[in-house]
Amino acid sequence: MTAIAACTLGSLPNPRMAYRVWRRNLLVFSKLWRGSLLPNFIDPVFYLLAMGFGLGTYLQSVNGIPYKEFIASGLVASSVMWAASFETTWNIYFRMTENKLYDAILATPVEVEDIVVAEVAWAATRAVIYGTAFLLIVALFGFVESPWAVFTPLFLALGGACFGMMGLAFTTAVNRIDLYSYYYTLLITPLFLFSGIFYPLDRLPEWTHVVAWFTPLYHLVQITRGLILGPELLSVLGNAVWLLVLTSLLFAIPVRAMRKRLVA
Amino acid sequence: MNAVEGRGLRKAYGAIVAVDGIDFDVRERECYGFLGPNGAGKTTTMKMIYGLASVGAGSLEVLGMDVARQRREVKSRIGVVPQDANLDWELSARENLEIQARYHGVSPDGRIDELLRDAVLEQRADSKPRELSGGMQRRLLIARALVNNPQLIVLDEPTTGLDPQARLAVWGRLERLKEQGVTLILTTHYMEEAERICDRLAIMDNGKIVAEGTPRELCARYEQPNLEGVFLHITGHGLRE
Repeated sequence: MTAIAACTLGSLPNPRMAYRVWRRNLLVFSKLWRGSLLPNFIDPVFYLLAMGFGLGTYLQSVNGIPYKEFIASGLVASSVMWAASFETTWNIYFRMTENKLYDAILATPVEVEDIVVAEVAWAATRAVIYGTAFLLIVALFGFVESPWAVFTPLFLALGGACFGMMGLAFTTAVNRIDLYSYYYTLLITPLFLFSGIFYPLDRLPEWTHVVAWFTPLYHLVQITRGLILGPELLSVLGNAVWLLVLTSLLFAIPVRAMRKRLVA
Repeated sequence: MNAVEGRGLRKAYGAIVAVDGIDFDVRERECYGFLGPNGAGKTTTMKMIYGLASVGAGSLEVLGMDVARQRREVKSRIGVVPQDANLDWELSARENLEIQARYHGVSPDGRIDELLRDAVLEQRADSKPRELSGGMQRRLLIARALVNNPQLIVLDEPTTGLDPQARLAVWGRLERLKEQGVTLILTTHYMEEAERICDRLAIMDNGKIVAEGTPRELCARYEQPNLEGVFLHITGHGLRE
């Protein structure tokens, strides 16, 4: 596995170097979080209020699960997707292209593969912060049914890493900021709407299940719902493996694209 | 030993040949300057030295190491002052130096205060880079390049865009570094700068080194009263397309 990775990447990331870049992001975040936490954080709360309490007043339950609980557990997953995606699209663009931050970092012993690991880990970190904050709100509403929910942040990190890797692959491969809205319009928003957060897929045609199986948010929703509403541990682990595999498979894309752009 | 050795060094971006097979040696403890019109290949040469451009063909050794193979090792022992002020805009001047120490894995301890003092930025240590003047930003960039105590410092147009006072301050700093035994490589458009700080110069044009020597040797060889005369004699008076 390591040998294959070394062949496709040229050289392997150094965790110590990646940690140093991750710490830089933490330092910046520690100064800005008060201003930046709120919007990301309020977004899923609005969805919960509008859909859960609005629609939920008319629609009592879905497959035996109270509707408010059904969508609350799904929105925990999507909050992770949004957080990791914003971090690795707009924020990375500004670091990489506008501020030339990576040019400066790459003139030190840090290499491209370390930056990719660091940024994905950082996107995962932010995703965990937002996702867990929202989970606490969900818990305050009394929508958490299972004690296994305490393990959710661990899996939110994995989901955050997966969406972080996707966002970074897109951002490093696409040079023009005016194309970024397509990433949201054509990928992130459809995932948000069609991954089983707002309604279950089981009565929809078979092909929708097949499509859903290939999308990462569907798997993350299965995980958060499995942990928050009832322990479905086997399904949680299976979906986690799926996310881990996709994240690993994508790794070479941002490494190559960033190398081509910054150290070619 | 030479601090840098380039042999048949070449770099092309698509059909555009930026550096076209140059040979040069930078001796330890000297200040070596690359002079040349815009687009001559100076910045690309510098980027190959500090690892932000891959070596297209030929060989490049920095501090006895092959830059293509020992990237991390080379970069841990050099300091870089790039043409663009690519500071960390979200951090203060002091944090910029601290984070640089972290990237290099060196413990900053008292060194950060010393570097801020040398850069005359003690009073502005908590300012963000955008709150600093161009001259201050450049001094901060130089301080940043010194965090890891490098044996070699690469400076790409270190005084472009600075007012005369700021330029003099940068020159003073570079001269002190030279006295301390640090090897310097720089690119410049200013003949006065080249004459004052560089021990030896390479004049580049169209990706090639067209002349090399001490400022005095070059003036004698081309029978010119000063470097500007040499430069215009070699690269011509016309504007480039």
